[in-house]
Amino acid sequence: MDAPTIAYLDNAATTRCDPRAAAEVSRFLLEEYGNPSSVHPLGVAAARALREARETLARCLEAEPGGVVFTSGGTEADDLAVLGFARTLRRHGRHLVVGATEHPAVLEAAKALGEEGFETSVVPADRAGRIDPAAVASACRPDTVVVAVMMANNELGTLAPVSEIARAVRTRAPRAAFHVDAVQAFGKAPVSLRATGADSIALSSHKIHGPKGVGALVLAPGRRPAPLLHGGGQEGNLRSGTENLPGIAGFARAAALAVESLAAEVPRWRRLRERLERGLAAALPDRLVNGDPERSVPTILSVTFPGVPGEALLHHLEARGVLVSTGAACHSRRGGSHVLLACGMAEEAVRSTIRFSFGRFTSEADVDRAVAAVPALVAELRALSR
Amino acid sequence: MEKGTTGRGLECLVVRYAEVGLKGGNRRYFEGRLQRNLKDALASVGPARMGRTWGRLLVFPEGDPAPAMARLREVFGVASVSPAVETRKDLLEIEPVALRLVGEALSRRPGEDRVPFRVEAHRADKSFPMRSVEVNRRLGATLLAAFPRLKVDLERPSLTLGVEVREACAYVYADRVEGPGGLPVGVSGRVLSLISGGIDSPVAAWLAMKRGCRVLFLTFHSHPFIGEATKEKVKDLVRRLSRFQGPSLLFVAPFAAIQTEIRKRSPEAYRTVLYRRAMHRIGCRIARRHRCLALLTGDSIGQVASQTLENLRCAEEAADLPVLRPLLAFDKRETIALAERIGTFPISIRPAQDCCTLFQPDNPVIRGEVEACRSVEAEIDLDRLVEESLASCEVFRLAEGKPDRHHSPATILPSPPRPDPENPASRAAAPSDRPGSLEVGA
Repeated sequence: MDAPTIAYLDNAATTRCDPRAAAEVSRFLLEEYGNPSSVHPLGVAAARALREARETLARCLEAEPGGVVFTSGGTEADDLAVLGFARTLRRHGRHLVVGATEHPAVLEAAKALGEEGFETSVVPADRAGRIDPAAVASACRPDTVVVAVMMANNELGTLAPVSEIARAVRTRAPRAAFHVDAVQAFGKAPVSLRATGADSIALSSHKIHGPKGVGALVLAPGRRPAPLLHGGGQEGNLRSGTENLPGIAGFARAAALAVESLAAEVPRWRRLRERLERGLAAALPDRLVNGDPERSVPTILSVTFPGVPGEALLHHLEARGVLVSTGAACHSRRGGSHVLLACGMAEEAVRSTIRFSFGRFTSEADVDRAVAAVPALVAELRALSR
Repeated sequence: MEKGTTGRGLECLVVRYAEVGLKGGNRRYFEGRLQRNLKDALASVGPARMGRTWGRLLVFPEGDPAPAMARLREVFGVASVSPAVETRKDLLEIEPVALRLVGEALSRRPGEDRVPFRVEAHRADKSFPMRSVEVNRRLGATLLAAFPRLKVDLERPSLTLGVEVREACAYVYADRVEGPGGLPVGVSGRVLSLISGGIDSPVAAWLAMKRGCRVLFLTFHSHPFIGEATKEKVKDLVRRLSRFQGPSLLFVAPFAAIQTEIRKRSPEAYRTVLYRRAMHRIGCRIARRHRCLALLTGDSIGQVASQTLENLRCAEEAADLPVLRPLLAFDKRETIALAERIGTFPISIRPAQDCCTLFQPDNPVIRGEVEACRSVEAEIDLDRLVEESLASCEVFRLAEGKPDRHHSPATILPSPPRPDPENPASRAAAPSDRPGSLEVGA
């Protein structure tokens, strides 16, 4: 399927690389292919490009360039923060606090720390995916060393009040590192290290029209997690290994583009989401929109179609060139998206939930294709599944 | 030809076959098939020459024999494999090697006081000055003198020292590792496996291969109710199974229209049974077109509602070929153990919906009746639906580590039946000598 023939409404899973970011990747693969550690001119040029990419990211996040650690992606950034901070701060305690809807990178890292004697408290989310700062505060203890909360829920788009949570953490657990997974929020809402008051922020390039396989952990001044990789001491000894300069340069370009275009994109995405929501509402009055319309990224619309197997709807839509994702695959007798279940949604509803998500290249025509296709399919599948 | 150097370590693998030798007049045919299967299997690990000798095959890998040995142990029809050491064909050289190999073998079984033992020499080279029986006697005497734990037992030896005297050199071996047994794939004819993405059907296919069947595969795909991932999963299963029989054909028959029609027109409880009847109909059509003699399923009696005897009968009644069910008496954990050994288990447990669960009834019929199935089918234009599915069936030729080949149905015509050509290499190694037996100390 070529790009123009499909309506790609799954940008929360991944995005198409922006040609301008792809051009950077290509340039650093084919022309400026030096190793930033080399001392000849090609290496020096690479080191300069790396420094510039770091400065770009720092500007985008309102952080210090020295705090930007490039990683292999969001998962590594989350792991570095959770495992790394827990290990450097273990003398102060062995307690972690995480949100129930966190990405597996955070949840599994916390679970792995169980082996090292750490204990984890999980803060529940409400039906709309909201995390209550008071609940985070009450989960914190004097021996809490890491608190991790995601900024935008990846299924519902709901935004967490991270600066309020940061204040609560500071009061209740002054020694804790506060980590924010902003993988889904960055490029769709303002993300600032300074404004959130977080100690670290995880980012991923491929969610913002950059290349895959690169991301960053952005650290507040003076904060240093223990490294996961040991080797040549790159990235301020926090992430050894020859830098993925093509990826990093592409990521920096994509980040700059995302931040530049944010002011114009947000209202456009809002209009798209409204268009989709209204279109579906007109034909399907019994559909349910999930999440918190007041506080969420404008790029995600989660809709439950009661009585419709979500995976069958997904494949029927794919046959019409509309690509979306489901809250859960219906092959799983139980379970489904841990995020939606953690928000207290019934399994039945989770299985009937579809996530539409937008990006830079999403057009009104794409949305209209979904609006045109969904109602008839919902009726057909509902009749067959009854 | 064979190298005359010494001290190169393992140079030759001696392959014994399982029941191949027992099949009377068909023996040459079976041996030829096994030899070809071994050659095909070895193609992925490097070049190897092959020779035939009395009751066994000799494989000469050009490189490291370890991967070749591992590969041979997966080929059906192979009873056991022995790595052999090459020596000059001179008893003065063979003797020290025999002493070393037997010494090593004995050190691996420290607990046994008496090790029943025999020597088995074959002489392909008639110019060799000693007859096999004499070689047996000489080596036997030497080994018995050196290792008091050895006890001659011609009937049930647990340790056999083998010597193959060839044109250029001799091969000596004492070790043996078990192969999978069974019959060489291809000697028993073709069957069509109905494969889902589950654990059972790949194991059933492997068992059919073990009894010499060449297995073709058919899966049912209900796009757009079910996604591409399910098809990819089945392709991965077939690709894995192709390890045991070579490149394999997978037919993918569209099934959504049939399921939707059954969903609309039949009592809910009968849906699954009716799906399976339709699958058997399509299966028989493809099987006949491609010279398969039977269908093959992974059913186990009573495992799920559709596998009660009554429901198996309902399904089978729609088939006009025998339906083979090698797992009938297997418990799930036995099947899983085999799936793990075959390497299909990790693929089978990947999450992907298969079409059998589509519109799955909450309370499926347990004791389905053929008449009830027939009367529902009379309401459905099943013949047309079957034809439509057959007409848009996809075909893939799959092999491990190779890109898929996709065929339109028309290009997959049955290949004409052909006799197995005799392998020239096998003629060179015509039977020439009988195994002698050790007589000293008897």
